[in-house]
Amino acid sequence: MKPIAIVKPVLFAAAAAPAVALAWNAYTGDLTANPVDYITDQTGSWALACLIVSLGVTPFRRLTGWNDVIKVRRMLGLFAFFYATLHMLTWVTLVSFFDVPTMIEDVTMRPFITVGMATFLILLVLAITSNRASIRRLGRRWQTLHRLVYLAGLGGVIHFWWLVKADTTEPQRWAVALAALLGFRAWWTWRTRTLSRF
Amino acid sequence: VEFVTLLDPVQMPGQRGRVLQWPYVEGLRMDEARNPLTILAVGMYGEQLTAQNGAPIRLVVPWKYGFKSGKSLAKIRFVDAEPRTAWNISAPQEYGFYANVNPDVDHPRWSQARERRLGEFLPRRTVVFNGYGDQVAGLYAGMDLRRNY
Repeated sequence: MKPIAIVKPVLFAAAAAPAVALAWNAYTGDLTANPVDYITDQTGSWALACLIVSLGVTPFRRLTGWNDVIKVRRMLGLFAFFYATLHMLTWVTLVSFFDVPTMIEDVTMRPFITVGMATFLILLVLAITSNRASIRRLGRRWQTLHRLVYLAGLGGVIHFWWLVKADTTEPQRWAVALAALLGFRAWWTWRTRTLSRF
Repeated sequence: VEFVTLLDPVQMPGQRGRVLQWPYVEGLRMDEARNPLTILAVGMYGEQLTAQNGAPIRLVVPWKYGFKSGKSLAKIRFVDAEPRTAWNISAPQEYGFYANVNPDVDHPRWSQARERRLGEFLPRRTVVFNGYGDQVAGLYAGMDLRRNY
């Protein structure tokens, strides 16, 4: 049995665990003294985590030569979209309470929410075009379209950075992780292009 | 009046970080400090103050945003100029000296028009001066509360 046949389900369980934990905590009434903030923070953090890890799949594949690992990339990306959707829905329902004028004001006047909403929309487009039918239909343009995931990663980090009051420690860590992963890809592309000249 | 919090990174490990300048300093105008609603608290809900709530003695200024109510006070001084306060030093465009609860004056990055009370699930509209307008609005008669945020 190939290792990927075990790794993928295990990774699925790991990625789903925070959602299960959140649902369990909601059921047992254990959502901290500030439940709405807790749900928002958790879903947001796990969306960013899944996104950053999904951006690490290709570097990992290139460094290890383990090609099969690419099979978890889409799953992780869709988990990022899943948590981002929960995060956005939490904002619509529990923070804004469906108050449309307030939501419009938030999206247009609070830069961190503008960036957050834009990032969500990018993830939405990527999720919709993540299936095999889309890959076939879009051909080479699929690759170009899905490079938007880099923008989504950047948007997620900026959204986080701009919403903290003063302690930017956590957003900084994510920014470093993102920079490392994107930096690796840039270096790899440069390396491939330079070496292929000979 | 200037209120200075204890500086003790051993007891308060958070003070090892550089999010704010330590010791935590807060201040009030003399008439704000003399208002009956300004309290130096030693207990809460019938119990003695706990460490995380600012034991042994803390400031409570109920018509202002929470960061004005300094905890674990170690020093109180009378100064002739408006003191630089901790959050004002950290982000002067976001945290002013007066910090009166005011739904009409937004924080630069988010609105102050709604609030959520601990224990309540849904948000509610913020009330200016946290509802203590009768007792404290007079302190700010004629002041532009948008400039003096």
